[in-house]
Formats: sequence, structure tokens, C-alpha cells
Amino acid sequence: MKKPIISMQSISKTYGTGDSAVTAIKEATFEIYSGETVALLGPSGSGKTTLITMIGCITEPSMGKLSLNGEVVYDQKWLIHDERKLRRENIGFIFQAHNLIPFLNVLENVTLVSQMNGVSTKDSNAKARELLDYLGVKDKENKMPSQLSGGQSQRVAIARSLANNPKIILADEPTAALDGERALSVMQLLRKLAHEQKVAIVVVTHDERMLPLFDRILRVEDGMIREVQSN
Amino acid sequence: MINLAQRDIAHSLGKFIVTALGVGMLIGVVLIMIGVYRGMVHDAMIVPNDIAADLWVVQKDTLGPFAENSRLHEDLKYSLKGFLGVDEVHPITFQSLQILQAKKPIRVFALGYDVFSGYAPYTLNVGRSIRIPHKEIIVDTKTGFKLGDSIPLGRETYTVVGMTHKAVSSGGDPMVYLDLHEAQELQFLFSNEQLRNDRFRGGNSVSTATVNTIVLTLKEGFDPKKVAREIQRWKHQSVYTQQEQSDILTKNLIERSAKQIGMFTVILLIVSSVIISLIIYTMTIGKMKEIAILKLIGAPNIIITKMIGQQSVLLGILAFIGGNIFANVSANFFPKTVILIPTDALKLFLVIIIVSILASLSGIRTALRVDPSSAIGG
Repeated sequence: MKKPIISMQSISKTYGTGDSAVTAIKEATFEIYSGETVALLGPSGSGKTTLITMIGCITEPSMGKLSLNGEVVYDQKWLIHDERKLRRENIGFIFQAHNLIPFLNVLENVTLVSQMNGVSTKDSNAKARELLDYLGVKDKENKMPSQLSGGQSQRVAIARSLANNPKIILADEPTAALDGERALSVMQLLRKLAHEQKVAIVVVTHDERMLPLFDRILRVEDGMIREVQSN
Repeated sequence: MINLAQRDIAHSLGKFIVTALGVGMLIGVVLIMIGVYRGMVHDAMIVPNDIAADLWVVQKDTLGPFAENSRLHEDLKYSLKGFLGVDEVHPITFQSLQILQAKKPIRVFALGYDVFSGYAPYTLNVGRSIRIPHKEIIVDTKTGFKLGDSIPLGRETYTVVGMTHKAVSSGGDPMVYLDLHEAQELQFLFSNEQLRNDRFRGGNSVSTATVNTIVLTLKEGFDPKKVAREIQRWKHQSVYTQQEQSDILTKNLIERSAKQIGMFTVILLIVSSVIISLIIYTMTIGKMKEIAILKLIGAPNIIITKMIGQQSVLLGILAFIGGNIFANVSANFFPKTVILIPTDALKLFLVIIIVSILASLSGIRTALRVDPSSAIGG
């Protein structure tokens, strides 16, 4: 039987206490598998970001059970000691505004995570060059982020998210800053990556035009996952 | 592993260097303040070292002749010569004077000594010693006079026959040297009008045969403290050894100035550390988003701490180098002696490194509190 790479069981998140308590996520339960592309769709304030930060072990849930890659990381409390180590070894992040480190060049931005994981400079550089080549920005490896276009920056950000051979990629509106054509190209690339490299990709998006490219769509409204749609 | 601090600095190198130079100026001022203190101690000891006495006889119950006024009869020298162990006896006068050099008034410190004794309480740089006790003077190069120049002093005009180099008083005034009797007249002789008035009043004018101190050198094998005790017992004067005179100068005379400089140095160091701290804090605040991204992609705290700490220490090192250059260049333009010594610079370097590390703590504290989720849009 196929094992889920992300498993959420009755996960809730409440901010504040007493009368001022606000529940951002209410008993979310779903599973995501390797090679799957999943869209988190919903209006602003619906709880998408809370959901993605809980999957990324950045925000601690208030209750429920969360498993990543078969390991239970939260069961009414954190069961991991070093969530950053878990992130840098298992999860890649792609942001709305590429969020490359401005004082590192393209190659260094991509190699940073793998070097933090103890991979040698030589090996991490080789892997980074391979990824940059795959994403069509190899000739930009010595450029600074400020010298890249929006599309190029997002491709470099995708390369960075893949540098640590992650099992999960969490993307927060990765196409929001791109025009329609480039946005489509980036989404097609993510879909290709998911299928070819067996990475689970969870994308927060507002853009309904991109929905046909996802395997599944989770609609988040008022902290609840109201609809599960499969393509 | 990529050095994040180095990459960040390289990315905004100009800004970093300008900031470091700004802090460096402050550190330079700290170094100069220490140098001014060293210069004061050095200057204070020039005259006593040139005089090179074993004992200083001064007026009873005074700390003369530098720290307090002291007056002795010159003829005391004859009885002092008779003490067991005393080799040479030199009466000396000291006096602050204001003279004109190129129409500008300058302050000098005049030393009068017996030119016939063969004793020379100075180190000549050019020219010769005073040969005749009349209208000849030795001056320091710092006065601006040259050999052969004429200097009007009191009722006479003196000719410069010799020059010393960097001989100054404890107050930093350049030294001039003249014959004892001429120096006594300059200091103790009343004006003609006062002499006449004194005669009308039936009083006697005071003799000019007065000196400020009589310095002694001892024969080999005699303990200066024992001889000093004998003189104090029989002649009822205060007597100090060379070491005691040095202590009076360094501890009594310049102690307050040294404390003042010390306080100023401490305040400057505190200001420097606050400024470094603020700069590092501001630099950290400017990188909040990058720090959030680093934390989000899994960078451990040690990497972020190292980045901020290394930048802070590098800022301190660069500022120290800049400050050292600034201090060494500007030290020559100070009117008083500024002595910069490597051990002081080394001690300050260690202080700056400690200050830089402490200054980085507020930045590190802020960085470690950054929420990684702030890198993700809502």
C-alpha cells in the first residue's frame, strides 16, 4: 500500500486564548503522496499559510497528529528536537517573491542548503550546476539575484528548493509575481519535477488558471478544508 | 561552507568600510588620549632625567620644586657640600616665562644653573653650552628660535648659543636654559621703582641669591636615603631621592590629568561600544528578511550567530586599523607630546574585540527571535 509523505490527522491551530482565541485551522485531515502536486486554494485569511507553515514545522499545531515521510513529528506536542534540521534535509521552499539571499550569487544561493547539510563544496556545486542546467539558468550561476529577471529568479529559487533532494516542496504563491506566460511555465516545471523526481509539491495559490496543472486541489475556507477536488 | 558574513560585507563593501572608518576615528581618539597621557608622563620626566640628581633638596614641608613652590638660600649649597657622601652640589632655579617669538607670545620654562660648574642639565642638539654668564641662552627647538637669534628677557637681550630638541616641562612648555645669576635676577629682582619705594619705607629689598632647589650627586657607595635623612635632620629642609621626585611628578602633578584622561578614554570606549552595537543592530534589522529565509530553509542558529558575530568583529578590526592610522598621522599635529606605543595599541585591540563581541549580542538576540514564517507571505 502506498504510504503518504504528508499525513495530517485532525490538525487544528488556535491563536490566542480565552475570548480572544482565533482558530485558524479546524481539524484538517488529508494525506499527500510522493510525486503529487497539490494546490491549496482559498481567499486571504482562510488559513492557507498557517497550514503550509505547520507542514513545514514552522508553526506548532494546537492539536492533532502530523507525520512527514512516515515519521510522526507532532502528536499533541512536537516529537522532533530540531525542526530546522528536518526542514533542511526533507523540505524545499519556494516563495512568492523568490526570496533569494541578495548577497549570495546564484550558485551560492543554490548550494547553501546542501552545504549546511554537510555536503562538500565540490559536490554541492556539481549538483547546483546540474539543477541550474535543468532549469535553464546555468549561464547565470555567477550573477547576483539583483541581475536576474523575475522568471530567472524564480527558476533559481526552484533550483535552491531542490538542492537538498527534498521529499516535499512547499511553495507559497510561486507565480504571483510573474506574468501569465512565465507563471504557466513555472507551474509546468513544478509539475514536471513532481512527476520526474517523485517530490510532493504543495502550492498555495490564488490563481484559478493554474488549477488544471494540479493533481489535487484542497480548498481552504475559514480554516476548514471544504472541498477536495481531483483532476 | 559559504562564509555569509564575508559575502554580505562584500555585497555592501563601501558602506561597511565607511562605517568602519567612522568608528575608527573614535578608536583613534581613544588611542590619542592614551598617547597624550604617555606624553605627559614622558614630558614630566625630561627635566628631572636631564638633571640626573641623586637627591633634591627643597624648602621644608614642600613637594618642590615642580609640584609646589620652593625657595632656598643659595648659600645652603656650601653646607650641603660638607655632608658625608655628597659629591656635587648644583643650585637651580625654575620659572615660567612668556616671551615673544615672531611677534607671537609663547610660554617657556626657564632653568637657571651655574654655568661655571661644568654641569649641564640638558642634552644639546646643536650649538654650544653657555660660556659666559652674560646674555647667552640655550633654547629648545620647539620655541621656534634659531642659533644666533636675540631674545629680550627682563632687562637684557639674550643670544641663542645652543639648542636642545624636545626638552619640555611637565606642562609641555619648551625649555630655555640660562646662567643661574641672570635667572635669579629675572625671578627675584624687584623693579627699580619698587627698590626705591622699599628704601623710602625703610625696608630692605630681598636678596636675589635664592634658588628653587639644590640638587646633589652622591659619591659611589652612599645610600641616597641615608644621606637625605642626615640633611633633613641637620638642615631642616625636605629632601627627595630621584625616585621620590619622579613619583611626585607622575603621581601628584599629573595624577589628576591622568585620571581626567582615563575617564575620557573610558567614556570614549563606552561610546564606541554603543555605536558598534547600534551599527550591528541596524545591520541585523536590515537583514531580517534574509535571516527569516535562512531559518526557514533550515540554517541552524550557529550559522546566523557566526554571520553577525564575524561582521561585528571584522568591523572592530577594520575600525581599529583605521583608528591606528588616524592616530599615528594626527599625533604629529598635536601641540603637546603624544606617544603611541604598540603595547597600548595591542591592549586596545583586545578591548575592541571584546567590545565588538559584546556589541553583536543585541543583534544576535534580535536575529534569533526572527520568526521564520515571516519569510512566507500571508
